[in-house]
Amino acid sequence: MAFVEINNLQAAVGGKPILKGIDLTINPGEVHAIMGPNGSGKSTLSSVLAGRETYTVTGGSVLFDGKDLLDLSPEERACEGLFMAFQYPVEIPGVTTSYFLMAAVNAIRKHHGQEELDAMDFLKMVKEKMALLEMDKTFLNRSVNE
Amino acid sequence: MPTDEGTIETLANQEYKWGFVTDIEADALPKGLNEDIVRAISKRKNEPDFMTQWRLKAYRHWLTMTEPKWPNVKYPEIDFQDVIYYSAPKAKKQLKSLDEVDPELLRTYEKLGVPLEEQKIFAGVAVDAVFDSVSVATTFKAKLAEMGVIFCSFSEAVQEHPELISKYLGSVVPYSDNFYATLNSAVFSDGSFCYVPKGVRCPMELSTYFRINAKNTGQFERTLIIADEGAYVSYLEGCTAPMRDENQLHAAVVELVALKGAQIKYSTVQNWYPGDKQGKGGIYNFVTKRGKCMESARISWTQVETGSAITWKYPSVILQGDNSIGEFYSVALTNHMQQADTGTKMIHIGKNTRSTVVSKGISAGKGQNTYRGLIKVLKNATNARNYTQCDSLLLGDKCGAHTFPYIEVRNTSSKAEHEASTSKIGEDQLFYCKQRGISLEDAVNMIINGFCKEVFRELPMEFAVEAQKLLGVSLEGSVG
Repeated sequence: MAFVEINNLQAAVGGKPILKGIDLTINPGEVHAIMGPNGSGKSTLSSVLAGRETYTVTGGSVLFDGKDLLDLSPEERACEGLFMAFQYPVEIPGVTTSYFLMAAVNAIRKHHGQEELDAMDFLKMVKEKMALLEMDKTFLNRSVNE
Repeated sequence: MPTDEGTIETLANQEYKWGFVTDIEADALPKGLNEDIVRAISKRKNEPDFMTQWRLKAYRHWLTMTEPKWPNVKYPEIDFQDVIYYSAPKAKKQLKSLDEVDPELLRTYEKLGVPLEEQKIFAGVAVDAVFDSVSVATTFKAKLAEMGVIFCSFSEAVQEHPELISKYLGSVVPYSDNFYATLNSAVFSDGSFCYVPKGVRCPMELSTYFRINAKNTGQFERTLIIADEGAYVSYLEGCTAPMRDENQLHAAVVELVALKGAQIKYSTVQNWYPGDKQGKGGIYNFVTKRGKCMESARISWTQVETGSAITWKYPSVILQGDNSIGEFYSVALTNHMQQADTGTKMIHIGKNTRSTVVSKGISAGKGQNTYRGLIKVLKNATNARNYTQCDSLLLGDKCGAHTFPYIEVRNTSSKAEHEASTSKIGEDQLFYCKQRGISLEDAVNMIINGFCKEVFRELPMEFAVEAQKLLGVSLEGSVG
């Protein structure tokens, strides 16, 4: 069964139609890249899938792992495993990256009925992952996207 | 974001949970104000003559003054003859220890989370609790006395240490200072007093808890803290009031004296009843707070203001001695119909004096939040430095943020910096959080706490936790 199934998806922003019937099927394990000139709707498609409120879905359907994706709130979609890498990530002053990541990890763990991590366990885990990626530890104390 | 409004509403509409009334008999003077009332207050407190005279001087001066109209707040005329100026819980007999305090009163403080019974205190906080007009109990007194620290109610200090009172009372905020401070000088009923002797580092946080209970009562407390040469003290102040439809007046005065090399840290979490969503009821909080620093002394004010219908408050520092330091860290939140006009004054008189001002204003609902600050550098204050940062955060489109910075520099070698910003919680910030699985209310709380971080980290640990929770409860966001 397909993991993502987009059927005739249409969306508008401010009454202006942008997506005019997109079809795409993604099977487990596949990697798809969507290419196109500026203004052809690549960002709109990802925003609509992630559930950004400024876009209105005007038609079509999206199945995500068997669930009606368009019926879920943005945070539920995230918890189900839909992750969007932002082109222009927004700053959140005063909130450290480690605090933010812990809140995100725990929200998702909670959604899946797993126990939430305490600060110690989380730090241990994140430090391991950072060592793996050879990332500088100071990132943890920096404000989100600062 | 219409879909989210439901959640924010629930989050926001949490009740003011400190709004209960304690049924306790009160010994109150009749409504209104005249010389007889002033004398009667002084007599009830069994005060020496110099106090009675001081009060009368203040009262007579008050008659010549008019209410200030410059603050950026609106409220109906206050009838000062319609206020009860003295109300005390009626005691059955003279109290000797905590065991004799009316159990009803102790239950009230328990409900408020003030651990009056010493055995329950593990955090090492000494508490003085002021109920309506009188101080009810001061804990840990004996232990503090061993180190020479005096921490007691103001009335007790008048009886036991009149020499300190006559020397320092009014030395920072004179009786003629301003309309509300002068009124307070005439009628103040109680408050806290603290003296830390030379070179002593006060071993625990000192704390006062203020509660207005009786109806139509004004609370006029007076706090005086003196840190002698090289001493250190950290002081916490908390306040709540029952929910009532009428507005209640709170006009307090706090004076801090930091002698040579001393350090005073004063933290407030103000949570007076703010009134309901339509702006009915709530406390009018007209407070004068000021500290004086002698040579190399340091005073820090940290305040988290979430309550009161109207807040009018400018904790200030007079940097009189050379090399002295003044600091002001503030979070002021206005929601519903609340109004706040708050900020600070830093008066640089001595050489090499330094001041830091960090103000965070959050407006939601129809709240109006004003920062008003004065940085004044006098002629002889060579090399004085000031840094001011003043940030406003808006939630929704019916609230307002206003900033009135005044900077007066009369010395060419000094430097004053002012930074200001106004922002809204952005739809893109919220979406970013939600896309990482974080719920809307957690996202709003996280962003606000991040915004206030520089202030929260100045608060003592247990207060910081309380302040964060309080902001969460006090917020009704019309976010988006």
